[in-house]
Amino acid sequence: MVRPTRFEITERVSRSAVTLSLLGELDMSTVPQLSDRVRHQLRDGADELTLDLRELAFMDSSGLRLLIELFDDSRRDGWTLRLIAPRHEAATLVLRATGADVALPFQTPPTS
Amino acid sequence: MRWVRAATRTELVLDRAHNAVISMDERGLVTYWNPSAEGMFGIESERAAGRPVAELIIPERFRAAHVAGLERFLADGTGPLLGRRVEMAALRCDGSEFPVEMTISAIRDGPGWTFTTFVQDISARRAAERERERLVEELQQALTGSERRFEAIVGRLSDPVTIRDRSDRITYANRAALVHLGFATTEELRRTPPAEIMRDYIVSREDGGAVAMDAIPSVRLLRGEAPEPLLIRTVHRRSGQERWNLLKASPLLDEAGQVESTIMVIEDVTEQKRAERRSEFLAEASRALASSLDYQRTLQTVAELAVPHIADWCAVDLVDRDGDRVSVSVAHVDPDKLRLADELRAYEPARPDPAQGLGLVLRTGEALLYPEITEQMISGAAVDGRHLELLRAVGFRSAAVVPITLGERVLGAMTLVSAESGRTLDRSDLELAEQVGARAAVAIENARIYSERSQIAHTLQQSLLPEELPDVPGYELASAYIPAFEYTEVGGDFYDVWQARGQWMLAVGDVTGKGVEAATLTSLVRHTLRATSDFLSSPAELLAQLDATLKRQRRRSVCTAICARVEPDGVTLAVGGHPLPLRVHPSGAEQAGEFGPLLGAFDEVDWQDRHVELPPGDTLVFFTDGVTDALRDDGERYGLERLRGALARCGEDTAAQVVATVTAAVEAFQAGEHADDTAVLALHRRPDHEHGDGAADEI
Repeated sequence: MVRPTRFEITERVSRSAVTLSLLGELDMSTVPQLSDRVRHQLRDGADELTLDLRELAFMDSSGLRLLIELFDDSRRDGWTLRLIAPRHEAATLVLRATGADVALPFQTPPTS
Repeated sequence: MRWVRAATRTELVLDRAHNAVISMDERGLVTYWNPSAEGMFGIESERAAGRPVAELIIPERFRAAHVAGLERFLADGTGPLLGRRVEMAALRCDGSEFPVEMTISAIRDGPGWTFTTFVQDISARRAAERERERLVEELQQALTGSERRFEAIVGRLSDPVTIRDRSDRITYANRAALVHLGFATTEELRRTPPAEIMRDYIVSREDGGAVAMDAIPSVRLLRGEAPEPLLIRTVHRRSGQERWNLLKASPLLDEAGQVESTIMVIEDVTEQKRAERRSEFLAEASRALASSLDYQRTLQTVAELAVPHIADWCAVDLVDRDGDRVSVSVAHVDPDKLRLADELRAYEPARPDPAQGLGLVLRTGEALLYPEITEQMISGAAVDGRHLELLRAVGFRSAAVVPITLGERVLGAMTLVSAESGRTLDRSDLELAEQVGARAAVAIENARIYSERSQIAHTLQQSLLPEELPDVPGYELASAYIPAFEYTEVGGDFYDVWQARGQWMLAVGDVTGKGVEAATLTSLVRHTLRATSDFLSSPAELLAQLDATLKRQRRRSVCTAICARVEPDGVTLAVGGHPLPLRVHPSGAEQAGEFGPLLGAFDEVDWQDRHVELPPGDTLVFFTDGVTDALRDDGERYGLERLRGALARCGEDTAAQVVATVTAAVEAFQAGEHADDTAVLALHRRPDHEHGDGAADEI
């Protein structure tokens, strides 16, 4: 069985701007949780979404794929996506390895 | 036909359930409402359909909490009420409230969740409790008064009541107590020593343990303690009838305030206790069946849940494609008895007798109940002396066999046996087992559909990998591909080695996405690379072409890949968002090449060719993130450093040895199965002295 990885989302809403802070591991077992939460916020009328990845301990390619899809959706549907770069090496690795660190809307580029 | 979704067998069974059964979807809207719910809440199922459960049955003051709880579960999967018995107030259609006991379970239903609630109306139980308390109080007061008044009150109590003296001898028993204990007169009862009164019964605590004499509430009262009511289970030795009793004792004090005697009320809580155990079992079994797609493992869990809740033995048998019986799981209250089961199984044919027992159930799909198994039935079933001995050792008292059916098809059967507990199984046990059987059928079918679907995806995926690696002169190639285990997200790892314009090319990559979709994309990636290599030889340009092709797809299609051109002294490669390969040499292992952007993902990007020199004996190891992301059960990832460490010890090993080292290291690291696809491809430059073979091929 696939072990459920530890993952938490904290939510801050101020009018139509929503910040989701992620804690733990974003991988194929937790991506659906984040995806559901974001879609839920968008349905509720959010037009500015910030994903705070600072406390993310790990991200795999399925997590990256979700970020790319959200960026696609934001440009197509006219809302704003902002990303705050992760601090942990295991979470920045996939971003740097794929060029996502410069191509996705990070407020400050992921370093490490 | 009812309005409910295509009535599944589970729902047909639930239609007949005594408890109200209500299901709702993620929005809290009713999707199922059984006939008992119609009666309990006074709302017909047609009217309940699609309406919020909150408005129908939850008193207004609790509605906000209900909505918040549902949202919380959907957000983070926690639900403190799930799977437990909870007592609360419910609302009837006329606005009146009544107390209920309910169990809620959440079940994955396709992409969403379905919540099923079993509700039991406990108003009658509550009223009886209040009435009993009042009467006992009255009794205590009256006992200071006249004998006649005392008789008059106790006679009104339908519960057995006994009065015991300081040595716990019964001095008085009301009518109900005499019937309960099996005595004709109070005199006869008085003459019998306390320890012998229950001789016709097997008495145990709820957990199955023996009831100590000094745990009896009346005895504890005499010791000066304030005892809690004691729940006991009695099984009549002769009839096998099981009852649950709650023993409550109150003191009668003398003038000095000392306990003179005790009044013990024996409350019969059999119905309530059974309903409780059943709904617990049903909820736990449903949860187990919905929790995993490995139905063999879940059926074992279900069998284990059945004991000792409803039986002493539980066995599940399925029918395979050839119609043979396959024993899937056996559980017994006493693990030592499992050895008996194994020995007994040797006597059971693959095709059981279609005229009786298991064989009959598998043939007809109808449940069978044997309330009383006689010595005659046992000796009739035995095929030889040893078999008879074994059958007797089990001590069969009663048995039930229920089918696991899907539509008309009988998938298998569940057998429940009551033995050492001495109780007989009845119709309500049979109904309960049928409900579990119906759920097991759905779980088995889901698992079958799933495994078929993922098998198709895997087959497709594997068909996209080269069947055998070609001989590349001067080099040795080896690879391993381990598909993800039991996960819907079948990733699309691939590798390929081919010849174009007289040169050997290789590619390794990972397409993100699911199943068939991923396989289709893999096929597109491989063909694009192969086709483009007929007119381009720069790996960086090949990746740029692939990137352009991916961006023309209707759906966002991204992949990681490394493309390499094999040269006599090493390779020239370009990397598109893929983990860098590791070069293994006699003194260690290092990353080679340079990261480039993910393919199909970003605008205005390009890729660079890098030459990686491979001296003779060196090996370049390509891998996908299934290797480095492999998860240990404590949450630790395998990671690049461990991989480097494992490879650093490979020295001048051959490609096959290097690949074996990597797969063995990852398997040893992760406790369970591979969560993701994993691919490894090693390119080993043959040492100069071996060069002969490859060179000869070339000439």
